[in-house]
This record gives sequence, C-alpha cells and structure tokens, in this order.
Amino acid sequence: MSLRHILAITRKEFNHILRDRSTLILVVFTPLAMLLLMAYALTVELQHIPIAVLDYDRSATSRDFVQRIVSGNDLDLYAQVGSIAEIESLLIHGKVKAALVIDPNFSRDLLAMRGMPMQVIIDGTEPESGGFAVEHIASRAQEFANMALSTQIQMMGFSADALNPLDLRIRTWYNPGLKPRNDLIPGLISMVLGMPALSVALALAHEREHGTMEQLMATPIGRGELLVGKMIPYIVAGLVNVIILPLLAMSWFNVPFNGSFPLFFALSALFMFAVLSMGIIIGVFMKTQAAAMGVSFLMIFFPGFFLTGIFFPIVSMPEIMRLESLGMPGTHYATITRGIFLPGVGMEILWPYAIMLIILGFSFTGIAALFFRKKLG
Amino acid sequence: MTDSIITTTGLTKTFRDTHAVDALDLTINSGELFGLVGPDGAGKTTTLRLLAGLLTLSDGEATVTGYDLRKESESIKKKIGYMAQQFSLYAELTVLENLRFFAEINDVPKKEMAERTENLLQFARLTEFTNRRAGHLSGGMQKKLALACTLIHEPKILLLDEPTTGVDPISRREFWDILTNLHLEGTTTIVSTPYMDEADRCSRVGLIYEGKLVICDSPRKIKAELPGEMVEFLTSEWQKAKTLVENLPGVLEAQTYGEALHLLVEDGDKGLKQITKALTKNGIKFRGARVAPVRMEEAFISLIQRLEN
Repeated sequence: MSLRHILAITRKEFNHILRDRSTLILVVFTPLAMLLLMAYALTVELQHIPIAVLDYDRSATSRDFVQRIVSGNDLDLYAQVGSIAEIESLLIHGKVKAALVIDPNFSRDLLAMRGMPMQVIIDGTEPESGGFAVEHIASRAQEFANMALSTQIQMMGFSADALNPLDLRIRTWYNPGLKPRNDLIPGLISMVLGMPALSVALALAHEREHGTMEQLMATPIGRGELLVGKMIPYIVAGLVNVIILPLLAMSWFNVPFNGSFPLFFALSALFMFAVLSMGIIIGVFMKTQAAAMGVSFLMIFFPGFFLTGIFFPIVSMPEIMRLESLGMPGTHYATITRGIFLPGVGMEILWPYAIMLIILGFSFTGIAALFFRKKLG
Repeated sequence: MTDSIITTTGLTKTFRDTHAVDALDLTINSGELFGLVGPDGAGKTTTLRLLAGLLTLSDGEATVTGYDLRKESESIKKKIGYMAQQFSLYAELTVLENLRFFAEINDVPKKEMAERTENLLQFARLTEFTNRRAGHLSGGMQKKLALACTLIHEPKILLLDEPTTGVDPISRREFWDILTNLHLEGTTTIVSTPYMDEADRCSRVGLIYEGKLVICDSPRKIKAELPGEMVEFLTSEWQKAKTLVENLPGVLEAQTYGEALHLLVEDGDKGLKQITKALTKNGIKFRGARVAPVRMEEAFISLIQRLEN
C-alpha cells in the first residue's frame, strides 16, 4: 500500500465531489433532504381530533372532567349531545372520530373511589384516530382522578405522593410525550446516513462508464489503494452529515440527544466504513451507474427500511430475515443511534453492535478486494 | 540477444465463442513505431489491451519488457503508457491536475514532477490551458493531454489505441508530429489506426484481420507486395467506368475513392493507354489520367478484398 497512491485517488475524488454538482448534491444534501422528507411523511402526529360527549351525569364533577379532556390541543369538543343516536349520526358522517359517554353514576363512583364509569366509542374505520382518542382520554382521566381524589386521600392520612388512587398509567419510557418523532428520527438518521454508500457505488460505476477505470487499471495502482482511496472522501462526507443531522434533529424536531456525541461520532465512523464497503462491493460488480443505483436501493435502502427494525420490529420477523438483518450494518447502527439519542447509553451496552460493524466492514472490504480485478474481462 | 521488447507467441483472447485475437505471433523491436491496422472489430483494441495487461490471456505466451504477461502484468504496467480509445481522463480535473494525478499514481519522483509536467505541457502545446478543466478541452487537445498523461512516467512502451480517431486533420498532424519526435527519441510505440496515411508514417505495420496477423512489414514492403502498377483516372462517371474496365485483360483490381478510379494493372504505361482507349470509346469523360504511386490505402484494401474472397 502506497500512501501517495491512496492520497492521489482521495484528492481526485474530493475534487470530483466538489466540482460535479450532482455528486455534491447526492453526497451532502440528499441525506438531509431525505431525513426532512421522511420525518414529515412518516410521522403521524395527530392533533385536534374531534370528539362528541354524552354526559348522563350532568354534575359539576363531570363538567370539570369534560373540560379537562378537551383542554389540550389533541382532542377538540365537537358537540355535547343528548343521545347515543346522535353520536352514531356524527360518527357516520365523520364529524367526530370518537365519543365519550359519561355514566350517570360517574361523580358518585369517583368520589367513593369505586372507579370512573364511562365509555369511549370510536370509529373503527379510522383506528388510528380512535386509538389516539382512547389513549388520550385515558391519560387525562387518570390525571383528573388523581387531582379530584388527592384531598380525600390526604384526609385519610396518606400523602398524595405515596399513593396514586388510580394508577392506570401506561408508562412510556424514554419518549414521555409519546411523540413518534423522538423514536423515529434517530432511526431515520441511521438510514439516511447510508446514502454515501450509494455515492461510492455510483462513483466506481462512473469510472467504468467513462473509461477512466480502464486508464487506472493500466497503471501500477494497487487494488486496495484504489478502493481505500475511493472510500475516504465518502467517509468524510458521511461524517459531515453525522454532525449536521443530529443538530437538525435537536434544533428542528426537538429530539433530545442524551448520550455522548464523541461516542456517536466514533461509532458513526465505524458504520460509514461498514456501509461504504457494501457500496464498494456494489460498485465492483455493477458496470453502469444505473445498475449501481438500482442494486444500491435493493441492497441498502430497502433492507434499511424493512430489516433494520426502524419500522418493523426485528423480533417479529421470520428467523431467516432476522439472520439477514444481522448482516446489514444499518441494523446495528439503528440500535446505536437510538440508544445514544434517547436513553443515552454508552459503550457498556453498545459494544456488541460496534464489534458487529467492524466485522461487517472488514468482511465487505475483503469481499470487494477479492472480486475487484484490474482486468477488463 | 535481440533487442525485441515485445514478443507474443500464439497470443489468443476468446470472448465466449469468438476469437478476438487468434494465435498472434508478434515481435516488436525496441524503438519501433509500429502501426496496427485492420478493419473495425479485427482485434486491434483487444491486442493492445492484452499487451497492457488489461485482459487475461486465453492462450499463448507473451513477454513485454522482459516480464511475463501472464504472471507479471503489474510489473509491466510500470513500464508502459497505455492510452485507451475512449477519452479517459478526469473531466472535472484541470489539465495540470490530470498530469499530476497520473504522475503520482505512476510514482514519478517528486523532485522531477514540476519539470516533467512543464515539459510535457510544452510538448503537447497545452501550456496556456494548464488550468482549464479537461472536460472543456477540444477533442484534439484532450487526445494530446491523454498522451501527455501516458508519457509522464517516461514509459518504455507506448500503447495507443486509435489516438486520432475523431480528431480534426490539423490536430491529427500535430499528434503525429509528436509521435514522430518520440520515435526519434527512441520510444517504442504501438499505435492502432484506421487511417492509412498514418500507417504510412510507421516504421512497421501489422495488418490484423479476424484476430490474425495477416501481414507485418514496413510500409514500403507492404506496398511492394501489391502486384502490378497503379493508374489513376478522375471521372464523375466512376461507377460506369469501373464496371467497364475492371474486367479488361491486364486489369487486376479496381478501387474507387470519390471521383478517383484506381486500377491495378500489370503494366503501367500499357494499361494507361488501353484504359484511356476503352473509356473514350464508351464516351466516358475523364481527366488526370496518370500512373500513380501505390499508397497504403490501396495496399490495405487490396489485401482485405483478397482476404474476404
């Protein structure tokens, strides 16, 4: 390996990236654009779900309760109705997505600490909105109950902190607001950071298409020198995005970054190495940019979507796919990004994933170097 | 010890079922300017790629600058300068950056880089375009730059694949002046070309046909191989004239080049008279009737026609 050869290739490739506008856009801006686009397209952030309320109790407590339910911007009170028939009509016409029916015994039972008799009717054709309404009503109901009963509990000699009368809380860890973006965005970051792999595959195919590969093959440059020199600029470009994307996530989407950034950066570098090696393999086998593009999507992005567990949990996959997902750098990196972003874990937990990335990186580079020949046919 | 720098014996390259290069025996001596001619698809490019170590041999043996082409192709690559037919420089890099890139890849000593690039820029008359991107050069300048890039490490052998195809006549002439200079300086060059006037400027010419080396000799001797002498007539009715005279006794072969009708005859003066008479009798107007020297063009076409029959 000659450092001079590697640097010559790297410098040339940097010039290519900086001077060829389409490559520059692909390398630097596409991950950013993809993150923004996918974050908005994939986030189901429901707000202002219209609901109807049928209050049979008509007590001060039940009126307070209804006020409490619709106090946020998640649920809107569309109408107070007098009968189930009215609810049905509103649901059928799509005016409301859910309806809350308060039992005549609501306040009596609540104050007697027997429960909160009520019913939520949802539009089963729109389970997303309906489920959202149920969840939010439940959490508000519980807050309400805690508040309403706290005086009574204190009178009974307990402190309010010591006992929650109706603890039906669904506890969601690490993402208390249940904001889907908090979890989604680190996953998406791990996916869009795979983009440089496509670029490097295209860069190799570009050299083939433009005959420069033939020229290079007729020089004494070593195979490893060529591949490593080619990979370095894309690792650097990827690492620029490793800095930009978390900043974007924190400032634009308000996603917390609880872990250590140097650790994230270091592990991202490992991921770049692994995923770019995959790109190199594609570039070694594909003769044209179009083919390299197609195969990259097939091999890097689709598995990124389906196999890395960003959208579909890996545990629910058939055995064979679970094994396949282990071979994707993105699987391990998705765990790393999410782990560092939200719970803020460190190497004590992430080490196996880091090791997997190293193993994958070296295996892929090995395979690429093995099949890359300085021959045309 | 002979001073042969390239020797191939039974050099063969097969792609699926076709023999692109078929049992080629070729010896190139040090310092030769060797022209490789032949119709399209005859195997010129494959031969050059084989010699550059870009293809694996299907059969046969070859040594280039003393190295075994099968086993030591990487050592050979240090000694040769290969220029592909297609433009194959980095379009986004400037003239100077391209030169420097190939200098570094080819391990040109750092101390010598500045001087060599300077000389080559002058040599290729590209000095004033030093900072222009290669992609923005004219076709002729691109070819000269490509040549300069293949010369940067002072290779022992130059392998040039149709370097002047698609280049304007003036750039073509300039390019060949450069090649002739290199030849005079002692560089061994193998150049493939579709232009017969270029073949005429080589010290030796090899004609490849269907992957085989059909003839390999100096242009003078190849032309002398042609039987008889050549007479030329200029006529606008060349089609009619050709059918009329090509079967006359003493006429060996007829070729047309635009308005020029070139006939190979057994005896120049006799043929000139005989054909003049025949054309006049049939009312075909012509001018410029003369006994003309045989060019590589006629020799090449005559050879190919004989091979095809």
